[in-house]
Amino acid sequence: MTILAISFGLYLFSLWKRPLLYGALALQVGYMVSRGAELGRLPLVGPHDTLVFLTASIAAFAVVFGLNLKDRKNFMNAVAIVAAVFTAFAMTSKQHNSPLPPVLKTFWFELHVVLAFMSYALFGIAAVLGGIFLKEQKNDADGLAYRAVLIGYCLFTLSMVFGGIWAYLAWGTYWMWTPKELWTSILWAYYSFYLHARLRPWWAGKPMAYLGIAGFAVVMFTYLGVSLLMKSSHSF
Amino acid sequence: MVILRYILNFLLSLRTTLWLLGLSLMLMFAGAFVMPGRQEFQQLHSMPMFEWIIKQPLEITWWLWGLIGALAVMAVNTLFCSVESIVKKRKVTQWLLLISPQVIHVGFLFILLAHLLSGLGAYQTTAVAHEGSVLQLSPGNTLLKVNNINIKLDYYGYVSDYSVDIEYLADNKVIDHDTIRPNDPSDKTGLNIIVKDLRAYPAAAVLFQIHSEPGAVWALTGGVLFMLGITTLILLKIKMEK
Repeated sequence: MTILAISFGLYLFSLWKRPLLYGALALQVGYMVSRGAELGRLPLVGPHDTLVFLTASIAAFAVVFGLNLKDRKNFMNAVAIVAAVFTAFAMTSKQHNSPLPPVLKTFWFELHVVLAFMSYALFGIAAVLGGIFLKEQKNDADGLAYRAVLIGYCLFTLSMVFGGIWAYLAWGTYWMWTPKELWTSILWAYYSFYLHARLRPWWAGKPMAYLGIAGFAVVMFTYLGVSLLMKSSHSF
Repeated sequence: MVILRYILNFLLSLRTTLWLLGLSLMLMFAGAFVMPGRQEFQQLHSMPMFEWIIKQPLEITWWLWGLIGALAVMAVNTLFCSVESIVKKRKVTQWLLLISPQVIHVGFLFILLAHLLSGLGAYQTTAVAHEGSVLQLSPGNTLLKVNNINIKLDYYGYVSDYSVDIEYLADNKVIDHDTIRPNDPSDKTGLNIIVKDLRAYPAAAVLFQIHSEPGAVWALTGGVLFMLGITTLILLKIKMEK
């Protein structure tokens, strides 16, 4: 937990010295590796581990996307704040250290979860870029936000397909009528709307930025809201 | 003629797609709040969706009826838009760029078909069995016999692994053997049989869940096509940018 506290501090101090963000990211990667070694599996169960993975994914994608921005200061600062907030939530969330039930010991589960959280991170990046576009009106932020959503949508689709295959093997059906499945469909339909809306000139510019920001709210509810508040196979 | 042209324009319009996606989003959003509060939705797991929906009051199913209607129109809209796109752009040199979005659309249509087939014929039932138990599988006259239930417990007493050896019988003859493990169901009779739960003491017992999923193959086909289409599209876009 000390490692997470240090990475939280580093994210905040990276607002003044950007290289500290790389340090925070390296620490979180190290933390996940050590958790994985300790547990003997990928640490991706429960809000604590998934929040750490989400934070590290957002920071890692931000480094890549930031390279394509002419002026990345505001973008990296916004990402640092988001990463610090998620790290703080991870620190206050309970660790899931007990052995996994047999049904979770499969690479379908690992693929499903890893891809889902990578896509969430990309949708988060798109939301931050949307905010940057609204503030600075720079087209490179708008183009990058679209790219983040497109790649995120691809990963999310892969995650859903792998999740469906796993559900069929583990629970006998590829579709279950639970709130999580419904919210996952809402999220998928939302970003389908985003990608189709971009093809129409009316939606170009600010409306797309607002759509990207609102999309991340849907992501957060699908991830945390449904898992914490509603009963399903995805409950924490 | 004017009406036909109006309908055709409506079905070929991207604006229609956006309205339908928006409407579907609203309906699913409403359903996400109706569903958790009503016990009736628990029965939806054990019978075909269409059989279930006609028996339920409209006050809890209106959003699902609306969603089915929106998806039906969206399926036609998707088909029309894809055909039009291929016809209009058939002479482009980058045919992969033309085809990949249509592959995504075909994948989406297969996924809808899967849900339609499962909605018409999917069902689920459960059965408790011990070693030596014989269960009647319906439809048909096949019997399922449980030979061995092997449960591995960890240090804390949790089930860490299991396997259930079964055989299928017909006319008092063994027609097939299988072993059910975690993430490894038995689907040799067209039914998907999984182990839902196990008990080691006082006597080993297993709770089977038996599924019929007529849409599973179509869902997999649709999912694979969707994945292929979108991955190709992204790779092409990255290549074009370079």
